[in-house]
Formats: sequence, C-alpha cells, structure tokens
Amino acid sequence: MARKLIDISHISKSYGDNLVLDDLNLYINENKFLTLLGPSGCGKTTLLRILGGFETPNKGNIIFDGVDITNLAPNKRQLNTVFQKYALFTHMTIAENIAFGLKIKGKSKAYINDKIKYALKLVNLDGYENRTADQLSGGQQQRIAIARAIVNEPKVLLLDEPLGALDLKLRQDMQYELIRLKNELGITFVYVTHDQEEALTMSDTIVVMNQGYIQQIGSPEDIYNEPENAFVADFIGESNILPATMVEDKLVKILGVNFPCVDTGFGRNKPVDAVIRPEDIDLVKPGEGLLDGVVTHLIFKGVHYEMEVMANNYEWLVHSTDMFPVGTEVGIKVDPFDIQIMKKPQSEDEEAVPIEE
Amino acid sequence: MIKSTLQKIYLGFILLLLYAPIITLIVLSFNSSKTRSKWGGFSGKWYTALFQNEDIMNALYTTLTIALVSALVATLIGTMAAIGIQALNAKFRTVMMTVTNIPMLNADIVTGISLMLLFIACRAFFPKFSLGFATVLLSHITFNIPYVILSVMPKLKQTSKYTYEAALDLGASPLYAFFKVVFPDIFPGVSSGFLLAFTMSLDDFVITHFTKGAGVDTLSTKIYSEVRKGIKPEMYALSTLLFVSVLFLLILVNTAPQDNVVKKKKEVGKFKKAANIVFRRVIPAIMVIVVVAGGFFYSSLGKTNASEQVVVYNWGEYIDPEVIDMFEEETGISVIYEEFETNESMYPKVQAGAVAYDLVCPSDYMIQRMIENNLLDEINFDNVPNIKNIGEEYFKQSKSFDPENKYSIPYCWGTVGILYNKTMVDEEVDSWSILWDEKYADQILMQNSVRDAFAVALKYSGYSLNSKDLDELEEAKELLMEQKPLVQAYVVDQVRDKMINNEAAVGVIYSGEAIYTQSQNSDLVYVVPKEGSNVWIDSWVIPKNAQNKENAEEFLNFLCRADIAKKNFDYITYSTPNTAARDLIEDEELRNSTTAFPDASILNRCETFQYLGTKFDDIYNELWREIKSK
Amino acid sequence: MKNKKRLLTGPYLFWAIAFIIIPIIMIFYYGLTDADNNFTLMNLAEITTPENLKALGLSLLLSFISTVICLVLAYPLAMILSGKSVNQSSFIVLIFILPMWMNFLLRTLAWQTLLEKNGVINAVLSFLHLPQLEIINTPYAIILGMVYNFLPFMVLPIYNVLVKIDKDVINAARDLGANNIQVFTKIILPLSVPGVISGITMVFVPALTTFVISDILGGSKILLIGNVIEQEFTHSYNWHAGSGLSLVLMIFIVISMALITKYDKDGEGTAF
Repeated sequence: MARKLIDISHISKSYGDNLVLDDLNLYINENKFLTLLGPSGCGKTTLLRILGGFETPNKGNIIFDGVDITNLAPNKRQLNTVFQKYALFTHMTIAENIAFGLKIKGKSKAYINDKIKYALKLVNLDGYENRTADQLSGGQQQRIAIARAIVNEPKVLLLDEPLGALDLKLRQDMQYELIRLKNELGITFVYVTHDQEEALTMSDTIVVMNQGYIQQIGSPEDIYNEPENAFVADFIGESNILPATMVEDKLVKILGVNFPCVDTGFGRNKPVDAVIRPEDIDLVKPGEGLLDGVVTHLIFKGVHYEMEVMANNYEWLVHSTDMFPVGTEVGIKVDPFDIQIMKKPQSEDEEAVPIEE
Repeated sequence: MIKSTLQKIYLGFILLLLYAPIITLIVLSFNSSKTRSKWGGFSGKWYTALFQNEDIMNALYTTLTIALVSALVATLIGTMAAIGIQALNAKFRTVMMTVTNIPMLNADIVTGISLMLLFIACRAFFPKFSLGFATVLLSHITFNIPYVILSVMPKLKQTSKYTYEAALDLGASPLYAFFKVVFPDIFPGVSSGFLLAFTMSLDDFVITHFTKGAGVDTLSTKIYSEVRKGIKPEMYALSTLLFVSVLFLLILVNTAPQDNVVKKKKEVGKFKKAANIVFRRVIPAIMVIVVVAGGFFYSSLGKTNASEQVVVYNWGEYIDPEVIDMFEEETGISVIYEEFETNESMYPKVQAGAVAYDLVCPSDYMIQRMIENNLLDEINFDNVPNIKNIGEEYFKQSKSFDPENKYSIPYCWGTVGILYNKTMVDEEVDSWSILWDEKYADQILMQNSVRDAFAVALKYSGYSLNSKDLDELEEAKELLMEQKPLVQAYVVDQVRDKMINNEAAVGVIYSGEAIYTQSQNSDLVYVVPKEGSNVWIDSWVIPKNAQNKENAEEFLNFLCRADIAKKNFDYITYSTPNTAARDLIEDEELRNSTTAFPDASILNRCETFQYLGTKFDDIYNELWREIKSK
Repeated sequence: MKNKKRLLTGPYLFWAIAFIIIPIIMIFYYGLTDADNNFTLMNLAEITTPENLKALGLSLLLSFISTVICLVLAYPLAMILSGKSVNQSSFIVLIFILPMWMNFLLRTLAWQTLLEKNGVINAVLSFLHLPQLEIINTPYAIILGMVYNFLPFMVLPIYNVLVKIDKDVINAARDLGANNIQVFTKIILPLSVPGVISGITMVFVPALTTFVISDILGGSKILLIGNVIEQEFTHSYNWHAGSGLSLVLMIFIVISMALITKYDKDGEGTAF
C-alpha cells in the first residue's frame, strides 16, 4: 500500500464573497501521478497554489509528510511548481535558470554543473545551457521550467496546466515525456488541467472538481466508466445522460423501456440518471434491440462514425465502426454492464454542464 | 500592518515633497501683499486682476493654443508614424526609434539651440522668415512627436494584427477597418500620448526660450522674464486656476461611472450613461472649445492691424502698460512689446536680426557699441517735436556715447549705489567697503552683470569703471573673488523684492529701484558711495533693420510728451530726463529727492560706462566667469 | 498592405530630418567652425578652460548626486505603487504628472519661497525651536530643485517595468527556495534594470544641462555647464563656442542613448 504523502483536510478559501474551495478533503499518495481535473474556475488552480504556498487557506490544514505546512513560506517547502506560463527568468541563461534553486541551497559548483547537464539531458535539451528563454520555443521553455523544478529533487512536483499553451502534437509528445519523467524520477506529480483526455492519458488518480467541490476521485478507468454523477459523466468524454427510474435491482426503465443492468442498491422505483457511452451502444436491425429508431445525422470521424438516432423522442449519440445512412431504421441494444446508474444531482455543482473549453 | 503604515508614511513624504511648492503657490495667489515672502492677508483680488491683465491672458492663450495645436499635430503625425514604424523591417525600425529617442534624451538646451540655429539659417533663404509664434509651434511639435510615438507603440504591439486583416476580410475598406478595429485598440495610447504632449508643451520653458520671437510669450517665458523682478501675483492666481481645473477634470474622468458598471444595471444605467458622456466627453470638449475660441479671440485682439505696428524691445517693467494702450488708441498703431533683462542679453538678439525691432532701449555703453558696429539708424528728429521736453544737459551727457546726438533719445537715467536696511546696519554707510565687511556675510546682494559688478570693485579701488588696465582689472577680480563668499546672491531686479522682504542687509541697486523699495519699506536707505559710482542713461534707439521707422518715431514723440513721461515716472520710478515731466511731479519731496534727481556734488564723482571694444568685452567676460565659477 | 503602412512614416520622416537631424548637423557645423567658417577644434577645446571644466565637473557632481537621490527615493516608491491595484495605480501615476500643470518655473520659484532665510520652512522650524535650514543659494538647494523636478522621470519608468513583472516569476523564485531578499536581489532588481537605466538617463541628462534651476535656487552664484552654454548663446553671443560646448554635452547624451539601446531593447522602460 502506497504511503500517504500529503493530507489536505477541511480546506476552504474565498476571495471576498467568492467561495472558491469549500471544506475540501483529499490525500495524495507517494509516487503517484494525481490530476486535478475540472472546468476553469472550479478551484483546482487555487488548490495547487495553496499546496505551493502562494495562497493561504481561510480554513483547514495541509499536512506534508506528517508536518503541518499550511503557513509555511513557499521557499521552505519541499515542493516545486511548474507554472502555467513557465515563469522563466528572462534575465538569466537557461543554465542560470536551472541553477537558481541549487545556488540558493548553496550547492557546490561541480554539483550544480552536473545537475544542469543531467536535467537538460532528461528533458532532451542538451547543449542549451547558454541560450536565453526568449530564444526557445514554447515546448522547450516548458521543458526548461520542468528541468528547473526537478533539479531540486522535490518530493512533489506541482504542475499548473503546463501544456495549455502548446499545440496538439507537442502536447501529446510532452504527455509521454512527463510520464517517462515521473517513472524515472519516482516523485509525486500533482497535475492541474481542464483537458480530460490529458488527465485520462497520464494519471494514476484523477480528482474531478467543480465549483469548489470534489465530484469524484478514482482511476482513469473508474472515472470514465463509472461516473458518479451527471457532471462527471458529461465532463469526461461524451455520453448519453438519460432520466430513468430504477425499477428494481439490476433493472432500469429508460424512456419507458426496461433495460437490464448490473447496478444494485438504489431502491425500488427511484428516479435516477442513466449514463450510456456512445461507443457502448450497438446498432442492430430493427426489432432486434430494446427499442427502435431512425438515424438522423451521420458524420465520419476517422476512427469511427458518429450518428444520432431518434428513438422514443430522444436523440441517442452513437459511435460505431459500422455505417448506417441517414434515414435507416435501426434497433438500439446496450449490454447491461455498459449502463451506469447515478443518483439524481444533489446540488448545482453535480449537474451536467456544457463544457466551455 | 507595520509595513503598510510605513508605506503610507513614505507615500505621504513624497507627496509632501511634490506638492509643497504647489500648495505654496496656491496660498500665494490669495496673498494680498504683492511680494512673495510676506503674508498681507487673505484676498481674492489677484483673480479679478488676472482677467484684466491682457499680457498674462495673452500669454495664457498663446500657451494653450501652442499646446493644443502642437499636441494635435504631434498626435496625428506620431500615430501615423507609429503604425508605419511597426510595419518597417527591424533595421529601419531601429533607426527610426533611435531618431525618435534623440529629442527625448537630448538636453532641452541643445534641442532648443539646434532649432534656433536652424530657424536663423532659414533666413538666408527666406529673408522675411523670423522667429515668432510659428517657430515655437514647430519646435513644440518636434519634441512632442516622440512622446506620442512612445505612447502608441506599446499599444500597437499588443494589438493583434489579425483583427485588422479580419476586418478587411469582412469587406471593410482599409480606412474603415483602421478606425473601427485598430483605432479603438490603440486609443488609450493615442490619448495618453496627446495628454502627455499637451502637458510637456505647457511645461516647456527652455526650448521656447530659444525659439521664440518678439511679441510671442508663453506663460513660461513670461514667468522667466518676471523671475528677476518678482512674479506678478496674478500669475499665481492663473496657475492655481489652471491647476485646479486640471485636477477637477482628472477627478471627473477617473471617477465617472465606468462602462462595465453601466452594462450591469440597466435602469440606473441610462442615467449613468448620460452622466458618463457628460463627464468624460462633454465637459472636456466644452473646455477645449472655450480654450480654442479664447485663443482665436485673443490672437485677433493682438493683431488688430498688422500693417501698422511698432516692435519695441525694452527693459522689463520699464513702461506703464497704460501708456501703450493710450498710444494704440490714439494712433491705431499696435505695439508689439518685448522685454530684456540685461544689455548683454539684448545685444545679440538685435545683432542677429532674427526679430526686426523698431525701437530698443539700451544703456549708454551699449549704444556706443551698437553705433560702432553700425547697428543703428539715425533718428529723424523732425518727427519727434516733443524732444524739446528733454533737458539739454542729458543730451550733453549722451555725447560720451553718441557724440553727435544722432542716434539716441534719453529715456531714463540714474545712479548706482548702495541700498541698506538701517535696522540691520548700525553704522553710517558712505563707502563700497561695506560690501566687503565680514559682519554682513550672506547679507549682501550683488548685481549679476559684468560691468555693474566690476564698476563696484574698480571704483572701490579708486580706478575708472572703464578701466582697460589689466592690472587694475586683475585687482578688481581678486576683490570680487574675495567678496564672493560674503555674497548671498547675484541678482538683477530681484534685489528689490529681497530688500523689501528683509532678506538681506545691503544691496547694490539702481537709484530708480531704490525709490520704489523705499516706498515699500521705510527702513531702506540709498547712498552713492564716496568713492564714486556709475551714472547711466538708458536711451531709445532705432536699429538699422527696423521695418516701421516712422511708427517708431511717432512712439518716441509720444513718450516724450510731458504727461506721458510723468505717467511713466510714476510707474517705474526711474529718474526722467524729461524736465517738463519733472515739473509735473506734485510731491515736492520726491521732485527734489537726491535719490531721484542727484545733485551735481554726487554726479561729479560718477562716471558713465563706455564701450570697451570686443577685446576688453571678452576680457571682462572671462574674468567674470572666473569669479562665478570659483 | 505592409508597403502602404510604411508610407505612414513619411510625414514623420520628413519632420525628423527637418527638425531633428538637420538642427543637430547645424550644431556640429557651428561647433566645428570659427567665426570665419573655417574648420577648428577650438570650440571643443573651450571645455578645457579651468572655469568651464569646473562648471562641467560641478554639473556632473550635482547631477550625479541628484540622480542617486532620485533613484533611492523612487525605487521604494515604485515598488509601493506597483503593489497597488490597477485602478488605483493609474490615478497615482497621474498624481505624478499633475504637478507639471503648474509651471515648472513657478514650482521651482516656490522652493525659493519655502527655503529662504525668512521663508516658510524656516518659519516652521523656528516655531518648533529647531535650528534653521540655510541651504538657499547653495548647491544643496540646486540638488533639491533637481530632485524635485526630475523625480517623476525616475519613478515612472521603474514603476512601468515593475508592474510588468509576472507575479508567477516571483512565485517561481520563492518556490525554488529564494527568501524575500533573494527574490529582490536576484529577480526584481535585475528585471527592473531597463526601467532604472531609462530613469537614470531621464534624470541625469536634464540635471546635467539645466540652467534654470541653478539660476533660481543657486542665487546665480553657482555656474553649471548649462549656464555657461546659455550665456554663450544669449549673452556673449558666441554661437560657435556654445555649439562646441553643446557637442561636448552630447557625448553624455550619446552614452545614455547607447545605454538605453543596450538595456532596454523593447522600449519597456519608457517613462510613459
């Protein structure tokens, strides 16, 4: 069992009347890649800045390795941050940027030089010592920012949307690079992003946040396959979120049709939400499925076709490698384990919201 | 918390430093006493006097018109240039930015001088071209453009070039696209550039000083010419008004409801929007219109009839302004009036001829120099019948510098002597030696001009004040150097205010000034030392390049009228050579005062300055500089 | 499109040549010729006369001291101002420009009223039974006048670079272990160099060349190089010598332009 490294308990933070974090509890295990995922304004960056020491919470404590660091200055913490816009020191060379933290700690010259070499190699930028930040591309600056942080051998590396400013290809490359780094260095990563794909690709654990509350904590698979509420379901990938009634254990009535499922414990005839991922819907011949409909839209997406099927007054979103032209009558079939049942939203933050970014 | 308190104290200290002089000026504007360092009670009279003072109002509107026009032109050229520079390649951009930096970094004095040299050189090609309003305007535009460029450039850098292209793509013409898309983005830069240019123009003195011509005065140059003899309190009133209205304007603009507030609350919004427009657009616009209209009004007032004019170049405070008004009214000739501070500063201006003066009032030795250098025209005395009022003895005395009495008509005369405050000086003063008495260290005011200063030292040593003997001059120099540590300040007309205000115990002063100071402070006594001193005559002369000689003679004739000369005497208190005017003086004590009209026993020990030639001018100047830089 | 935009520099280019470049050439011409238009270096050599050297030395000394005082006063001030919220700061910056609407000469003259023997400050001091302040007509008064007049030109450029420093850069330094002093010396100070340099030139050059402040507050007893040049032009009427001395002054101006181009490539540190 992994060791608990950071324990965040009852953290609240507000700016004026604006409550950003409300009584938040979370622990982070050693050597894990933990991602804080949520739409902008959900409080994830604030939480990261509280961890880094750039903000102090109004309430609550941060315990790091058994020590309360809530009010400790950033320069006294064994964490390092990679900032969103890199925050490189433009008046210094790359080598000086990387050496900054080590010099302050009073390391020897030889040690520092070794470290610079090592770090640049690690981020695939050997030989860049004497350049300045403005001579580097965004991706390179990003990697320098990471190098500058990791030479200090922090126990935890905090990354604030570090790939946000990069283009798609570079972003994908950097994602693999970060996973590699994490595995090589064996340090804990706390990563903030609003990009669900990035979160799913890299994380050991994902913390989905909205409006200052944690919505769900789990492995990427858990989060994707078993969203606990409509917000998570909607935010992570595309899905059909349908109002439904739990008839009994393992049977749910969706749009007037009974679907067998695997969920239990919701009671009898209780209103619930059912989540069905578009790729989990099988299109079959009319009559062979649980209900019939007509294909209304068809788009080729490369890996699959995206279709909308009108059935029982609901536009079902379907991903399939088989193609059904518009107007085709089809049957809809869903395997019981592909239906995820959720409680009705308890509060605003648990509701599905259109993704803005 | 301690930190923020410390910050507040520090901010307060800096603000006190910045605003102490401004508060002082505001307080002075309500001081009923005419002199600077004495509180004579609260009064608003300078504010009423201000609007009757045509000189100051004229200078104000010249200043505002120049500031406004130069800021507008600079904003136009500068904004265009900024957009163009942005589109240049890096090499040309660097060149342009370097050029732009020159007026910003160059010393004002060098910029002013370089422009003056240019304008004067222009006269080789356009003989009619002379220093005046236009040259000041051109100079102000020149130093204002960089401020606009440097304010607009950063905004331009922040603006995405794609928005402009997007507008073109959507069918906008380049001009339309610029004004609808680019301009709103850079507008803050343009407006702050304009405001800066306006402020800089308003505050400039040095460049205006070098590029202005006769009859053109901005507030700065007006103030500078007043510095020596004491600022007119109306000036404080004007500055206060200006400052307060700008402050008011700034507060309006800064506290007017912001646009985003308006959007949120629709109902209140309508009212606030209206208020917003009023505060941020209408009021400033009205102020601008008033300024421009006033400028045109006053400039049209100043140039009633440009063809009939006379350009007069006189000492500061050396004529009753009403006399000019009366002359203009009687003859329809408009008087363009400019003042100088010393003979030495007047001479080069006349010699350069950048401004064609019709009538100048130098002192004796300077007239001699001007005659010798062929700068003067003979006066047609047939046009000056009132010359009969001038006492015969003054023409006789004038022969020392104008041997045939062809070039000059005496205007004022007097002696140089010591003015002392009897509450601070116990002894009877009759010798220049008091100026070397260590008892009065830092209580002595000396004249800040070569000849006057040397005259004191030469006479004290028993030599002629026209000495050409190098040993004598060396001795005089040594004396003056020895004296320097005792001297509180070297001044020209300021000696008047300082003596009235008890700032100093002893001062070297012209007899005319002495009469005025005694009327303000009865503790002051004037003496002509026993070693002898200088008797001087200031006379009117007509330069060779005068454009309106007959008008000049008509003005001369007017000045020689007994009632006019009397009026001038009452105003400037300098002795008049106009015997008919002297007879009109009612105050018997004054009419017979030896200060105003020294008797023969005093005059016998006095000498008149003579022109010593370029070589000795240089020697005197050199020695004087050695003293000053000691 | 770009070609057309470039044409917009046209009027300025004309203006700059006519009113910036040519006048400078005029100064060179006068500075390097004598009264008979013959080439000479005599005018430049004028600076080596003991009086002129002394005036230049004193000018350099006084403007150096004023620049240092301005820097010491302005830096903390700019730090405090840059910490204020955006809305407040624009108003605060205006407060520094506002005094310029009261004429420069009057403002300087007001110091005379404040500093005089029987002036306001001494009246306050004697009321408090404190020793009198006797600096009027001394170099100290000139320094005060310089600091007073040029302080805004030091504050504004420094303020402008300080507000542009990304808060996260400072956070990054703290994150990497720097304490407050280290953050200041290693990050804030080096990053504000362009502003400091431009502030220094904006104070040093005008202070070096002023003749008005020394006239008004120095009682005409103290001759600065600006006074010498002014006298050459308006009293002695020796344009050649005046131009020659101006050329000497231009050395300092060229140095400051070089400093600006070296340290402030993007024009970040401009005062406004």
